Amino acid sequence: MNSIFEAYSKFPRADCGYCGNPSCITALRKYCSGEMPLDKCLFFRTSAFDPELIRCPAARDSPPKPGISYINPCPSDAKMVTVEVSLASGVHAKHGYYDMISLDRIFGRFIPSLKVSPSLGIARIEHDGRAIMAFKEGRMLIRRALSEEDAFLQLSRAMRQLWAAVN
Amino acid sequence: MLNVEAIRKDFPFLKEGRVYLDSTASSLTPDPVIQRMIEYYHDYRANVGRGIYRVSQRATDEFEAARERIARFIGAGRDELILLRNSSEALNLIANGVQFKRGDRVVLTIQEHHSNFVIWQRAKERFGLDLRIVNSDRQGFFNLSDFEAAIDGKTRLVSIAHVSNVLGVRLPVKEVAKLAHEQGSLVAVDGAQSVPHTKVDVGDLGCDFFAFSGHKMCGPTGAGGLFIRGDVQESVEPLCVGGGTIEDVGIDYYRLRSGPYKYEAGTPAIAESIGLGAAADYLSSIGMQNISDHEHALTRRMMDLLPEVPGLNIYGPPNAGDRAGIFSFNVEGMNSHDVALALDSAAGIMVRSGHHCALPLMKGLLGVAEGSVRASVYLYNTFSEVDLFVDTLSEIAKTIA
Repeated sequence: MNSIFEAYSKFPRADCGYCGNPSCITALRKYCSGEMPLDKCLFFRTSAFDPELIRCPAARDSPPKPGISYINPCPSDAKMVTVEVSLASGVHAKHGYYDMISLDRIFGRFIPSLKVSPSLGIARIEHDGRAIMAFKEGRMLIRRALSEEDAFLQLSRAMRQLWAAVN
Repeated sequence: MLNVEAIRKDFPFLKEGRVYLDSTASSLTPDPVIQRMIEYYHDYRANVGRGIYRVSQRATDEFEAARERIARFIGAGRDELILLRNSSEALNLIANGVQFKRGDRVVLTIQEHHSNFVIWQRAKERFGLDLRIVNSDRQGFFNLSDFEAAIDGKTRLVSIAHVSNVLGVRLPVKEVAKLAHEQGSLVAVDGAQSVPHTKVDVGDLGCDFFAFSGHKMCGPTGAGGLFIRGDVQESVEPLCVGGGTIEDVGIDYYRLRSGPYKYEAGTPAIAESIGLGAAADYLSSIGMQNISDHEHALTRRMMDLLPEVPGLNIYGPPNAGDRAGIFSFNVEGMNSHDVALALDSAAGIMVRSGHHCALPLMKGLLGVAEGSVRASVYLYNTFSEVDLFVDTLSEIAKTIA
């Protein structure tokens, strides 16, 4: 079983940009999709590191089509609403929608209660009891929204906050 | 020893990038079981117990052979096994079929699934039952003296789970059954979480009723069973009456059949029951001992690794030897549903989150009304899946909790 963060932990994680990618996680994704050889990276070129040790995770179910995936009552409280939307279109299929490194290091610092995990590809915001999660492939999900209207209001607010990190 | 790689090939659901850790909610179904059901639809699709033509007779034979297989699987006689939809239906049959009198006592435990809780609360309203709940400690262990105190001469029935679906702890069913019988009480066991994972012998347990679900033991959804001991059947009414349940009907009377048919009104889930028979065969051919040994090894690995995850609260017994392959926990600072979403998104890991249909336990004993995450393992899970699960969970706890 290989995971992206296991592979990521073996990357230099310097985000130096030498390979032409904005971050190491983007480089890793490109490497795993066969678009970038490892010797483009200064670290792998110079160190005695064995690239065989980097195992890419298996391909997963493809993300849903852009649009609203579902609007449901919350599993924990049927009076509340959970909504999932998918934002990514074809152009984001390969490298994902959000660049979580940029979000983590640069753009996210002014967003209260934002937690970002570049290795998992997940960003999480808690807002007045509502839980918003954004996934690198462009899915966005809100739970415990007060109503359908509230759900879309909060979602668009979060989309604006994360906008700068869109690939 | 289990050849897990060979077993995984039997399950078409298991593809690269999918880690299924929710077998406690519902297990996966292997190809041999699916094929047996397709065979029914392709080759002998007819009703059972009705027609005289050859295909209909074959359907009846296959259906009854499935009953015999399933009965043998839990150590019951074929006339003692009623084919129903699932444990919930089976437990409802008991609550509505036993002839209760006002003031009869029914004893449950705090660890029961809603299926074995709500039915008794309703029966209390309807028949004026005296309902007693036996508590366990926070880890899930019971004190037998608490059962001794709760079960008295007025106790009509003791209904308890075999294995808790939240804590994974095994309940002292055999000891409780002995206590109950000494007081002249009937004993019902909710075996939904035990039958799929360990060898069960209803005779050895000493219970009068034993309910279980097929979809948790590699069978299809919609097929399950209820064992009612032969000499108890006389006094237990069916939940539904109608076609198939009667011996004779006149304009002002009806006479019920005896044996399991009394309880099976209407056309049963024929394909699903045949599938459940195939599932019993499938599990037997692998060997229940091998399956529980494998699960136990996975449980040890899990209980070795989980404490290393920062900020994790694990519920249930701390010792791997005391628990089945069920792991309920919470990550500090994160709602259980968020953890489940993150596991799914980051590594394709499927786990249950929420209250697991056991709110009295979650709210009362554990004090976590908002629920917990629950991972569970079965015969097709591997050590590397456990490792990936714990790695991903650690990453979640470190980065977004």
